[in-house]
Amino acid sequence: MHNIEINNLTFAYQKEHPVLQIDQLSIQLHRFTILHGPSGSGKSTLLKIIAGFLPRHGGQLNGEVQIPHHLQIAMMFQDPGMQFALDTPRHEIEFALENLQIPSVEISSRITAALKQAGIQHLADRLFTTLSGGEQQRAALAVIIAMDADVLLLDEPFASLDNHNRQILIDSLVQLQKAGKTIIIADHDLTGYHQLVADIVSFQEPIHRLSHDQAEFLLDQASTQLIRTPLPRKNDQPAITLSNYHLQKQDQVLIDQSNLTFMRNRVTLITGESGSGKSSLLLSLAGLLNYSGIITLFKSPLNTIKPKNLGKKVGLVFQRASDQFLNVTVAEELSLSRRQGKQTYFTHERLNSWLKRLGLYKMDDRVVYSLSGGQQKKLQVLLMLMMGQPLLLLDEPFSGLDRQSTANIVALIRACQEHSGITVLIVSHQFANLSHLVDYQLLLKNHTLTYQGRNQA
Amino acid sequence: MNPSWQLLLVLIISLEISFTHRLVANLILIVVAAIVLLRYHLQFKTYLRLLLIPAIPATALAVTIGFFSPAHDWWFAAVIASRIYAYVFLGATVTVTTTPLKLARSLEQNAHLNAKYAYGVLAAVNLAPRTISAIKTIRASARMRGIQLHFYSPILYFKAILLALRWSDQLVLAMESHGFVENQSRTVAEPILTSISDWLIVVMSIVILQVLLIAFP
Amino acid sequence: MQSKRGFHLRDIIFLALIGILFGVIYYGGDFIYNALTVALTPIGFGPMANDITMGLWCMAGPLAGFLLKRPGASFIGEFLGATGEMFLGGQWGAGNLISGFVQGVATELGFTFTGYRIYNWFTVFIETLTTTLVTYGWDWFRNGYDHFKPSTIIILLVVRFISVFLFSGLLVKLIANLVDRTHLIKN
Repeated sequence: MHNIEINNLTFAYQKEHPVLQIDQLSIQLHRFTILHGPSGSGKSTLLKIIAGFLPRHGGQLNGEVQIPHHLQIAMMFQDPGMQFALDTPRHEIEFALENLQIPSVEISSRITAALKQAGIQHLADRLFTTLSGGEQQRAALAVIIAMDADVLLLDEPFASLDNHNRQILIDSLVQLQKAGKTIIIADHDLTGYHQLVADIVSFQEPIHRLSHDQAEFLLDQASTQLIRTPLPRKNDQPAITLSNYHLQKQDQVLIDQSNLTFMRNRVTLITGESGSGKSSLLLSLAGLLNYSGIITLFKSPLNTIKPKNLGKKVGLVFQRASDQFLNVTVAEELSLSRRQGKQTYFTHERLNSWLKRLGLYKMDDRVVYSLSGGQQKKLQVLLMLMMGQPLLLLDEPFSGLDRQSTANIVALIRACQEHSGITVLIVSHQFANLSHLVDYQLLLKNHTLTYQGRNQA
Repeated sequence: MNPSWQLLLVLIISLEISFTHRLVANLILIVVAAIVLLRYHLQFKTYLRLLLIPAIPATALAVTIGFFSPAHDWWFAAVIASRIYAYVFLGATVTVTTTPLKLARSLEQNAHLNAKYAYGVLAAVNLAPRTISAIKTIRASARMRGIQLHFYSPILYFKAILLALRWSDQLVLAMESHGFVENQSRTVAEPILTSISDWLIVVMSIVILQVLLIAFP
Repeated sequence: MQSKRGFHLRDIIFLALIGILFGVIYYGGDFIYNALTVALTPIGFGPMANDITMGLWCMAGPLAGFLLKRPGASFIGEFLGATGEMFLGGQWGAGNLISGFVQGVATELGFTFTGYRIYNWFTVFIETLTTTLVTYGWDWFRNGYDHFKPSTIIILLVVRFISVFLFSGLLVKLIANLVDRTHLIKN
C-alpha cells in the first residue's frame, strides 16, 4: 500500500455536529501534501486522526482510515512552546528516544546527528523558554528527525515563525521528503509554499484533492494582495503614538519604530507576514507585553495608566475566543457585557436584532465553550464591542468565519464605530471583504510599520 | 549522592525530628546541612534567603512559646525554632544538589516510580514560566469586561482550571507524539547510578541521628 | 479524563498544572503570611498566620476531589501541587513534600468519609472538618502547639476552621460548580 486511504469518514464530538466529513481521499506516501482551508474546517482533526490521537482521546469516528502498518508517525504542533515535556532540546530528544526504547549506547550519537541535520547544535542545551518560536519549531523537527519518523504531520507549523526560520524549516522538510518521508501540513495560508512541489487537499466542501494544475495555480497565486486605502489625512487626530518603540521576543527583534501615529476614530488594518510581530504589537498596546520606548495613549503614557483604568480605555479581542469568556453560558456573558458595557449603540432592540443576524439568538442556555468556533468568534467580538472602550484591538477577528459571517461582523464593527467613533486596530491575515471597513492600512515589514496607499488631495 | 536516596534520607530525618524535642540534634543537623550547601557555592542571595525566610516563623513560634505560654519554656522555644531551620536547610540540600530532571530520572530508575508521574509533573513544571503571563492575561481580560479579579474570585480559578485542561490536553498529545506510551517500558539515556555508599550514608546517618536524639538534650 | 480507575498522564499533568497555576495566583501569599506573622507575634499570636492562610494552601486538593470525583484525586492533587512548588523554589524545599502529604491525606479523608458518592455541601463540611483537624494535629507536633495557652490553642483551631471553610470549602465548591456547568470534564 502506498497511500493513506480514507473512505466515508465522519468525525464528531457531539453526535449531531460532525466536525469533519470526507467521502474519499487518498494521501500519497513519500510526498508533500498540504491540507488547505479556513480555520475550523477540520484540518487539525484529520491530522490528529492520522496520528492516532482521535478518537482515542475523544469523539466518534465512522468510516475507514487505512494507514500502512509499521509507519512511525510524529506530529508538530501549532503552538511551538506547547510540545515539549522537558526543558531543553537535548533532553527532549533523549526523552523521545527512551520512549522508542532505543538502546542507551545509540542515543547520544542519534542526538548529535539529529541536532546537526536540523542545524540547532548551538541550541541543544538552551532552555526552551529562552528560544524563539522559530527555534522551538526547529527543535521540534530535530526530535522528529531523531525519532526517524516515516510520516510527519505539521499543524500550521509556521504560524508564529519569522521568514528566516520558516525558510530553514521548509528547506529541512524538502530534504526529508527527498529522503523518502511523507509530509502532511495543515495550513490556512499558502504563502511561502510556492517553491514546493506539493499535493493540495482543499478543505472547502466537499473535501477533495486538487488536480496538479489547480494546485500549482493556488500556490502561485498565494502572494499577499493589498486592499486599496488612502494615506492618513492631515486633519486626522492621533489616538496612539509610538516613539523609539522597540519590541522583541527572546533575542528576536520584532518591531523597531522611531515614530508612528495611529489615527483616532479610524479603522486601521495591520498586515504583514505571519510571525512578523503583529499580534505582539497589539498585546503590548494592551499592556500585556513588555516593550521599550514610549507608547502614548490618548495623551497619557501607557505605562503610567493603572491596570484598572487601562481596561476601560483599551479592549483587546484575543485571537482565541475562549480567552475572552469569563462565565459559563451565553446569557451570562451577554448580561455581563450589558451591565458593564459603555457602548450606547446597543439598545435592547438593536442587540436582539444583531443576535439574530449573527445566529446567536435564543442560545441563552448554551455553554459558551460548546459553541462552534465561528459562533464563539462572533459572540466574542460582540461582547467586546458592547464594552465600548475608545480603543479596540482585534486580533484575527474573522478567523473561522464564512463569507456571510465575516460580512456581518464587518457591518457590526462599522455600525459601532460610526455611532460612537471608536479607534479600531485590526490584525488579520485575510482581508477579502474588508474594504468597506478599513480606513487605513499599515504594513509591518523589516521590523517597521508603514502606511500603505496614496496621498489624498 | 543518589537523588532518590538523598530525598528519602531528608524525609526520614524531617519526620523524626518532628516528633522528638532535641536541641542538640537539630543544631548538628543544621550545621551538617549548611556544610553541604556551602560546598555547592550558591549565589549569595540564595544563602541570604535560606537564612532569612525561616527567621519569621521561627521567631513567631519561639516568642509565642517563650513569652506567652504558661510555662515560659525558652528551651522548648529554641527546640522549635531550630527545628524550623533544620527543615528548611535539609529541604534545600535536595533542591540545590539536583535538578528536577535528574530527580525524576532517579525516581523512575532507582525508586521505580511510574514514568507517567515522573514526566507528567516535569512537563507541568516546565510550563511554569508561561503560567505567570497566563494569569496576567486572565486578569487583564476580566478588567476589559469591567471586573477586577482577586485571589478570592472564583472566576480567576475557574479560568485557570480551563487553561490547565487545555494545556494538559496539548501536552499529552505532544508527549505521545514523542513516543510516550503509558506503562510501556523505556530505555535510559543517562543511567542514574546508585552504589553501596548511598546505602551506607543513609543507614549511618539514621544510626547517628538516633544516638544524638538519645544521648543529648 | 477517560476512565474512573487510576490516573492517566493527562490527569497527572492537569493536577500538577493546577497546583502551579494556583501557586502563581497566591504568589503574594508568602508575603501575606510573613507580614501577618510579624504583625501578630508581639501579641502572642504569631503562629496564627499559619492558621489564617491554611485554607489557601489546601485548595488544590479538595478542588481535584470535586472535579475528578474519584478516590485519590484529592490526595494526588494536593501532593503533586506541593511537588511542583518544591521544584519552583518554594521556601520549604523538600519539606513541601511532607506538608503536601499531610494536607493531601487531610483533604482526601473528607471524600473518603462521604464514600466518593456525595459531592455536595455536606461533603464541603466534612472535608473542611478533616482538613482542619488533620493539619492541626500535624502542627500540634511540628510547631509545638501543645505548649501554647489553652485559650490560644482554641482560638487557633477556630481560625483555622474558618480559613479552611472559606477557601478550601466554600470557594472550592463555587469554582467546582462553575467547571461542572461547562461539562468540559467528563466523569
